[in-house]
Amino acid sequence: MADGTSVPVGVMTPAMAGRRRASSMKRFAQRRSTIAFLLCLPLILLVACFVIYPAFYAIWLSMLNKKMTQFVGLGNFAFLLKRNTFQLVIFQSCLFAITAVIFKALIGITVAHLMHNIPGKNQRIWRGLLLVPWVIPLALSTLTWWWMFDPSYSAFNWILNELGFSSVPWLGVGWIARFCTIVVNVWYGTPFFMIMYLAALKSVPDQLYEAAAIDGAGAWQKLFFVTLPMMRNIIAITILFSLIVTFAEFDIVRILTGGGPQDMTHVFATYAFQVGIQSGDIPLGAADSLFMFPILAVAAFFVLRGVTRRSKEIAA
Amino acid sequence: MTRSGKVSRRRALKLGAATAALPLVHIRTAGAAGKLAIAFWDHWVPGGNDVMQKQVNTWAAKNKVEASVDFITGNGNKLMMTGVAEAQAKTGHDVYTFYNWDVYNIHESLAPVDDVVKYLIGKYGEVDATAEYLARQKDVWTAVPTSSGTQTKPPCGRISWFKKNGLDLQAMYPVKPEHTAAQDGWTWDALMKYAELAKNDGLTFGFGLGSNTNTDAIDMHGALFHAYGATMFDAKGNITLDTPEMTQCLEYVQKLVKFYPDDAVSYDDASNNRALISGKSALIFNPPSAWAVAKRDAPDVAKDCWTFSPPAGPKGRFVPTATFFWGVFQFSQNQSAGKELITYLMEREQVEERDNAVAGYDLPPFAKMLDFKIWETVEPPPGTVYNYPIRPWHKAKPSLTASEATPDIAVQVYNRAIHNQMMARIKEGQSIKQVIAWAKDELEGFTR
Amino acid sequence: MSSSTAVAGAVPHAQHRHHSLHRQRAWALWGSYIALGCFVVMFLVPPFYTLMTSLKSSAEISAQQGNPWIVHHPTLENFWYLITYPNFQTYYLNSVMITICTVAISMVISVLAAFSLARMGFWGSSALSTGVFLTYLIPASLLFLPLFQIVGFLGLINSVWCLALLYPTLAVPFCTWIMIGYFSSIPKELDEAALIDGAGYLQMLWKIFIPVAMPGIIAATIFAFTVSWGQFLYPLAYLYTSNQMVLTVGIISDLIRGDVFQWGKIMAACLLASLPPILIYAFLMDYYVAGLTAGATKG
Repeated sequence: MADGTSVPVGVMTPAMAGRRRASSMKRFAQRRSTIAFLLCLPLILLVACFVIYPAFYAIWLSMLNKKMTQFVGLGNFAFLLKRNTFQLVIFQSCLFAITAVIFKALIGITVAHLMHNIPGKNQRIWRGLLLVPWVIPLALSTLTWWWMFDPSYSAFNWILNELGFSSVPWLGVGWIARFCTIVVNVWYGTPFFMIMYLAALKSVPDQLYEAAAIDGAGAWQKLFFVTLPMMRNIIAITILFSLIVTFAEFDIVRILTGGGPQDMTHVFATYAFQVGIQSGDIPLGAADSLFMFPILAVAAFFVLRGVTRRSKEIAA
Repeated sequence: MTRSGKVSRRRALKLGAATAALPLVHIRTAGAAGKLAIAFWDHWVPGGNDVMQKQVNTWAAKNKVEASVDFITGNGNKLMMTGVAEAQAKTGHDVYTFYNWDVYNIHESLAPVDDVVKYLIGKYGEVDATAEYLARQKDVWTAVPTSSGTQTKPPCGRISWFKKNGLDLQAMYPVKPEHTAAQDGWTWDALMKYAELAKNDGLTFGFGLGSNTNTDAIDMHGALFHAYGATMFDAKGNITLDTPEMTQCLEYVQKLVKFYPDDAVSYDDASNNRALISGKSALIFNPPSAWAVAKRDAPDVAKDCWTFSPPAGPKGRFVPTATFFWGVFQFSQNQSAGKELITYLMEREQVEERDNAVAGYDLPPFAKMLDFKIWETVEPPPGTVYNYPIRPWHKAKPSLTASEATPDIAVQVYNRAIHNQMMARIKEGQSIKQVIAWAKDELEGFTR
Repeated sequence: MSSSTAVAGAVPHAQHRHHSLHRQRAWALWGSYIALGCFVVMFLVPPFYTLMTSLKSSAEISAQQGNPWIVHHPTLENFWYLITYPNFQTYYLNSVMITICTVAISMVISVLAAFSLARMGFWGSSALSTGVFLTYLIPASLLFLPLFQIVGFLGLINSVWCLALLYPTLAVPFCTWIMIGYFSSIPKELDEAALIDGAGYLQMLWKIFIPVAMPGIIAATIFAFTVSWGQFLYPLAYLYTSNQMVLTVGIISDLIRGDVFQWGKIMAACLLASLPPILIYAFLMDYYVAGLTAGATKG
């Protein structure tokens, strides 16, 4: 009876018809979710094989002792936390990532606004020029930066000297070196922010601005009460993405300073590389690399949940 | 390296006798066949790879082995990263090249090669003590020290500048087996005197204080500390910073770092080369690669360069070394072929042929091979690298930074560039006490 | 948008202020140009220096004298050397090959997944669409060790093709996210109509969604392209013979010999390596922005 086929058509009651529709809807949904799952399967396989499995392997590694013969639980993490140098690394990683992301976001949004102000047909060339840093492979452009900061023949120092200033040891003094690594990261990452924001700016309906203008809103008010709220999702996602990637930064610090001077520019990835790969303590290096994972994961969870909720509100 | 020096000599003699008695067929009959994948260090001297490839081909043809050779660059730590990854994944090459500490980091994944090394020692004499320190663990050789890429990092100075200031480098370290009186006067104190003169001349001594991308300086300062007997650890793993030797050494450092370049902290391994080639530096510690590049880009500078032994301190004269090793992975299916190939490549004829191809850059780790003609003939000026290998009459010992400690600790001291960092802090104006306190805290983390 | 009715009524009022607004706008426009100009100069300092260095001979570079920002004796020998250097040609070809494969694989995976996640859904699909973004949390500097095992198992060590498997992990999450955004912005009525017409899901995706979402697809493609063109760590760890290398790692390993940097050639190579992305962005930029505009904002 359940499938309703044995009931003569003529005597089908409304209730039965309803049940029949429900069950075929259910089957339909089942089919639909099966297809949906199959469509996602390549993604799931890719992530499972090349990210999840190695990630769990890495987590397991981070819980072994130095010789990798014994399980020590969170011992490596506890050990790291007690080290002065590692505390410095935590501080520097946060300083590096947060400062760099703030500047990328600020400069990105400024440039995107400026770009949005100029007529569309002129935008192309400007956008093209401003995207150049994002387009050059990072490992190679960092080499250029390094060469410009180079102690013996710094191109920047040449300018300073010509202007009558003395040379600056760009990568030789802790705070200056920190500044330099952040500058290079901002230089590289800003175009990405710019392009994302520009896209978001274009999607804010003009009527909203006009309405705000009628209500007597000035430029700043428009920015804070129209533009930014409309761009909230894209700002959140871009910042999250950039924060995660910046926390994992390796190339810039490795090439520019290798962590020095006096360990002041070490970030998680470079320090992990030094203790894990170079000094042969792989578990400690793995623990170091995983250090930010819980914090960033929680942050990401909330940001993404907020984004999803907001986009549902917009859709509704 | 003082710790293992004596032991190795005695043991080497004994082993040499033992292996000489054994029929050499012991290694020969292992029966090479099948496939063999080898990873060599990508030699920076043009032509260095070609002669290696040729030698492997010759051996492979003779032994009916299908040998495939990869040359992996050391840039960007590529050689090391691939090696670590292969060891972890238990797949990859059969024979792999390891640079300095990497061989220790990975020794548990390597097949013992005692037979090969003992055979080579028996035939070619004592092996370099730093090489033994790195590759011989628990009385078992885990890899074979090779000549390809192996180097020392002695001073390379500008002949004319030193002559102007009263020191004839070519007379002090001439191109002949002779211990001159001037050599005894070549101390770290003397070096400081010239460093000051150079600074007054508007030149520098191109010494760095960089972090772990500045291995030239790590090696040089390890030799300096050894020369003062200033150690970080004893062999039992106790921290030994509170010694008169350490204080004496740091007091010397306090004076010396005043004459370092202002940007010394941001030096890396290429900075000193550039300083020499651009003519801004009168002395650097480096293998002859800097001189070789000068030969191409600044021939006038190259003609004026002389490589000679490092200065001596109260505890003797120490020469920084950096050694390459060939190891056979345990996961290799063809270990015997790998060992045979290594043996073949380490025979004198092959080593000398390769060394000639790279203008004497490679230093064989075995004592009896240090008489190749190539170091006398390389020019300009003729004999400029004659004193690049450690000669018996130099009365110098090889030095590997931090090797007074056991390797598991020393590797961390080395890679964290503790020596450079201590000196950089002193240059910054910190007191000896502060620096020692900092170092103590750092070193405590290495003993886990 | 609800505000549109209010705007319609207020337009005449706005006309009065038109003149002063116009002047204000012109002023703002010039301000924008000047400020943008400043940013462009700042952004382009390193590429400019790269260009200048690439035109110098190695003797000029190592002399370390004079103004480093200009070329005293310009020469094209660095470019000529690279163009005629067989290894460099191989790197270039490999990079192009791998990038094409990566982009294709990434796009297939992320378009299918995004369609499913945005339009169909199944148990756990919302968790998946959030979770896929979290894969960026595991840094490549940590993954490369365990990945060696997998790559070894697949027999792809020192094969440039392993990158075609590994690069998508870096591109797919972001691409999927862009595509989810774009697909969500397509009105639901469209697929209901299609379903009533009896179209299957795949047909619907192929005939309706992909054509409509083209700008989004182009934006995602460009992102995947950028990622796979510039990646450094994976090829550094997994490739070691020059016939298998891609540009980033090939340049580093070929043009740096020991502690000797051939700056002129490195810089020339850097410029040549940046050429394809610059061209692609120059031609597809408008689509890129348009694609992000529609997709990203819906997030």
